[in-house]
Amino acid sequence: MTAQIAIEKFYFAYKATPPGQVVLRDINLKVDKGSFTCLIGPSGAGKTTLCRAITGIVPFYMGGRYAGDVKVLGKSTKGQRVSDIAMHVGFIMEDYESQLVSLTAGEEVAFSLLNHGFKPEEVEKRVSWALEAVGLPGRETYRLDELSGGQRQRLLLASTLAVEPELIVLDEPVSAMDPDGAQSLYSLLASIHRRLGTTILAVEHRMDFLLPYVTDLIALKEGELLVADSFDAAAPVVYQDAELRPLLPTLWQMKLGLEERLGLRLGNWRSEEEAVEDLKRRGVRAKEGTGHVGS
Amino acid sequence: MRLAAFTQIIVTLAVTAWVFILPTEAVATILVLELTLLLYIKHDQMTLAAIGGLAVFTGLMVLLQLLFGTPLIQSLIGGLRMLVMTMAFLCLLAACRIQDIAKALVEKFRLPCEYAFMLTTALRFVPNFLLDSEITLDAQSCRGYSNRQNFIKRFLAYLVVIRPLVMRAVAKSETLALSMELKGFGNNTYKNMPPEKLNILDYLVLLLVLAGCSFPFWEKYFLGA
Repeated sequence: MTAQIAIEKFYFAYKATPPGQVVLRDINLKVDKGSFTCLIGPSGAGKTTLCRAITGIVPFYMGGRYAGDVKVLGKSTKGQRVSDIAMHVGFIMEDYESQLVSLTAGEEVAFSLLNHGFKPEEVEKRVSWALEAVGLPGRETYRLDELSGGQRQRLLLASTLAVEPELIVLDEPVSAMDPDGAQSLYSLLASIHRRLGTTILAVEHRMDFLLPYVTDLIALKEGELLVADSFDAAAPVVYQDAELRPLLPTLWQMKLGLEERLGLRLGNWRSEEEAVEDLKRRGVRAKEGTGHVGS
Repeated sequence: MRLAAFTQIIVTLAVTAWVFILPTEAVATILVLELTLLLYIKHDQMTLAAIGGLAVFTGLMVLLQLLFGTPLIQSLIGGLRMLVMTMAFLCLLAACRIQDIAKALVEKFRLPCEYAFMLTTALRFVPNFLLDSEITLDAQSCRGYSNRQNFIKRFLAYLVVIRPLVMRAVAKSETLALSMELKGFGNNTYKNMPPEKLNILDYLVLLLVLAGCSFPFWEKYFLGA
């Protein structure tokens, strides 16, 4: 697989970071084309800063001290305008409400296309395609206050999709959403990932929503890279760290806990159904009428 | 067929000139026309409240002029002129989308895109700001904020609501700026929008505006005033 993101010996400190300290230290990682990667880490681990480095916002927009290189789609982010990188790398930040800059859904999706000189006919075509792709067909004239929170989040995704990026970076996109909304957004992202082959990199604290779709996992701790590998290979490494363990999906915390305590080797569960099937295969049965597990 | 935003802005600006150059009877007629037009376009509660607010403000202006010794007729005419001028802007906002006004201001009046964008952004964030202020008010009320004192104390107590509200607004504006940077905001935003073409109705209205604005000239030479 070819790497869409390649970070080599990257160090970064904001202008306000005290001398001698850094936010990111010696980051070396690759994100493969077509992967669905989850980035986890405790608060203050540098997840948002890493996302900003990938999109060129740090250090080129926000300033700061840095060393090393961030290559996106084979090109270093050095010397590139943030908006030019954004034509290939969509970035959705945590506060989705403040990222919507227009008054209607159609204008919002058209905004970056117009800024990048697309012809009005092409803009129109892409706007209706992007709105349809996120399940908001025909809503071009809707005012933003006529859309629900979840629909606005989808609209933001549509405005990112409209430029047809090869990679979408999402920084805690569902932090302000209810579980149903979060599940629905990730299922939409997964369908976009499948249909268009877009690489997805999502920062997420609640990995349960991502478990069915995630292919790779990156874990950061105190600005340093703990692990960056396929999900199945990286999760056991994360599990060994007591601080990061709760960030894993609940199902995997159970799986890895059982493996550790009972010396078993269980399957790579992606859903409760798979877990139940796997356990049944190993002779674990629910006690009749109680719902409790026995063997 | 509807008037282009450019024509509507020109008419609004022309009205502000007409209130000074046309006879009082004509200005009063414009007011009637404005009111009819405004209520035809929008007759919701907000429009009625805006008209009411303007009427009250005009009344206060007239009263102030009287207090400072201006004769009654002159005060009333002054109030009428102010009312007609402000009502013209109300008509413009009711008849035309703010996005179209911003676009026309950049395209035809060469207004820098940042200022034009401020118009739409301000409107976009008013509901958010109101929601934030409600949330902050509730949060501070839980912490003991009360507005049941005299005016001065109430004003001072309100600072505990204003401070976090401003901090939130600043944080949001940072995200907004970053989002605009990511989306490549700049001169192209308006330049690449499909241009608004003027139709026959626009040209007719613009001719009418020209005729109205040249009133002092034809009053002098043709009406023999």
